[in-house]
Amino acid sequence: MPVTTAPQGQGRFNALWIRLVGLAAVISVILLVSAGILLNQLFQAALERNFEARLRAVLDGLLATVEVAEDGSPIIQTELADTRFTLPLSGWYWQVTPPPGRNLSDLASASLLEQRLRPKLEDLAERGEDGIARFYLRDANGAHLRAIEQGFKLFGGNDEFSFLVAGNFDELKAEADAFRRTLFIILGLLGLGLVFAILVQVRIGLRPLRTLRQRLTAIREGKAERLEGRFPNEIQPVADELNLLIQSNSEIVERARTQVGNLAHALKTPLSVLGNEAQLNPGPLADKVIEQSRTMRDQVSLYLDRARRAARAQTLGAVTEVEPVLAGLARTLMRIHQDRGIAIAVDCRAGLKFRGEKQDLEEMAGNLLDNACKWASKNIVVEVAQLKTDPADGRAWLEIAVGDDGPGLPEDKRAEAMKRGRRLDETKPGSGLGLSIVTETAQMYGGTLRLGAAKLGGLAAILKLPAVA
Amino acid sequence: MRLLVVEDDPDLNRQLVTAFTEAGYAVDKASDGEEGHFLGDTEPYDAVVLDLGLPVLDGVSVLEKWRRAGRKMPVLILTARDRWSDKVAGFDAGADDYVAKPFHMEEVLARIRALVRRSAGHASSEIACGPLLLDTAGARVTVDGRAIKLTSLEFRLLSYLMHHKGKVVSRTELVEHLYDQDFDRDSNTIEVFVGRLRKKLGVDVLHTVRGMGYCVTEPEEAGKG
Repeated sequence: MPVTTAPQGQGRFNALWIRLVGLAAVISVILLVSAGILLNQLFQAALERNFEARLRAVLDGLLATVEVAEDGSPIIQTELADTRFTLPLSGWYWQVTPPPGRNLSDLASASLLEQRLRPKLEDLAERGEDGIARFYLRDANGAHLRAIEQGFKLFGGNDEFSFLVAGNFDELKAEADAFRRTLFIILGLLGLGLVFAILVQVRIGLRPLRTLRQRLTAIREGKAERLEGRFPNEIQPVADELNLLIQSNSEIVERARTQVGNLAHALKTPLSVLGNEAQLNPGPLADKVIEQSRTMRDQVSLYLDRARRAARAQTLGAVTEVEPVLAGLARTLMRIHQDRGIAIAVDCRAGLKFRGEKQDLEEMAGNLLDNACKWASKNIVVEVAQLKTDPADGRAWLEIAVGDDGPGLPEDKRAEAMKRGRRLDETKPGSGLGLSIVTETAQMYGGTLRLGAAKLGGLAAILKLPAVA
Repeated sequence: MRLLVVEDDPDLNRQLVTAFTEAGYAVDKASDGEEGHFLGDTEPYDAVVLDLGLPVLDGVSVLEKWRRAGRKMPVLILTARDRWSDKVAGFDAGADDYVAKPFHMEEVLARIRALVRRSAGHASSEIACGPLLLDTAGARVTVDGRAIKLTSLEFRLLSYLMHHKGKVVSRTELVEHLYDQDFDRDSNTIEVFVGRLRKKLGVDVLHTVRGMGYCVTEPEEAGKG
């Protein structure tokens, strides 16, 4: 079965979580920046309205206290209480200017010293319907001013005087900056919090997908047979479909395997017929037929073996109780070797389970027992023991030891017997010790086969296989 | 010795029947499970060769039905399925031996010989009775080492009586085990064969038990009895 690695996609950033987090982050940043700008503007506007209200209060106060002298010039009855209008260049000013063309003296706050504010047309910010004009000005110090100007006819004269009040807006700049800073810090923290929340949400939200992948991996590795458990409603249909796919896949493989098996088995009868017929009629043709039918027999065995292997890769999570299998084999072999009166004793605790296919256990134990029967003189003992769980990988193992009272094998010959079985193509059906299939099958399960000396005096074959703890 | 061959492949069936007939057995044949079961259930065979993949009724079921009905004849299973699970299933159903296809005819012959011998309680391939020796493996009969030429029916008759040495075998039983089902049985011919056999052997081992049948015993025992 080809092992496919997870596709890496077009780029490193082609991950669902990056998309979700990225998209959410972009949207959050846009919203947060817009909110920041809007809030800042609202605050600025409120600040300016408040500032203008103060300027208008000053303007009202000024109107109440400025009068027209006999020469038509404006005079102030009482100085304004606010000391900022007396501090030189404080940024807070007022001035009353007679209409141009009339040779009259003007009036200004002490803070202006000898200077005068001359609002130009380009400084005009707005002229309201109430007759109030608003200006953005700068004084001699370069301070930013907000000014309002209104024309009034004073009591006792016909001239329209321009009343102008200006305030130092820079004083509010610090306040506005402080607000903006706080605003940005809060919005920044909010943004970070949002990104973190999105990350958490995406991780949790995508967890079922990760679970799905892990379970699929488990299926591919043969640890599970299908996707178990409930998935969220969006993923459950996918899981269901995958289960159906896995099922139909294994059905197809099973069918193909069965057909290969059937074909191979079906060929055996005609092969028997050919071989027997050829032996009854000796001659060159018969020799050819015998030779070729032997080749065909080997081919049939080879493909049957392959089909079994394919089946093994397909079956997952099988668990087999050891004792009944060994008991059945012992029963059968004692029957086969009835003439020689061979006794096979099976010492196996009931409930001991092999983590694998029943047929594989049968094939391994059957070949070992068959082998033992060939060499034993009277007795064969099969001992099964559950090994202590390996603390390194936490896997449970069991050992099946088949010992006979035959001649046994010296140590150097044992290694050779094992080696000979390494390659499948060297062993023909019915020849050799038949250990190759046992070793290969055991290795498929991560197990081992070793040979030793039996307590009864003959050879002991010890099979180590994964167990169910 | 009378055998039953249950095999659905006509060629293989014919080969088996020919080989067994040549080896001196009376052979009946069946080509499906139902026919095989019926024959095995009604006729007294000394051994059965049973294919597992049979039409109508599979071999394991046939075997189980026989064993449930108390039929004890030795059964050799012949099958393409050679996995241990198949063997265990076969033996658990009551088989006595197992040969996997493709097979050599000699092997099947040897296994059947061994089965027949074993079911009669003989461990060796040679059954002796005084100077008379029956070699089941070689299908040879000797008296004091001198080979005796026998027809297949004579051999069958002697072989059956030797296998059941010391027991009285009735004429009907002999007829049932010497002829296949298609043969026109006449129990009177048995008397003729027994007489001819006595003459050929020349030793006094084959006795007639009046009203009961025939019996093979050691010559000195016969002297006492």
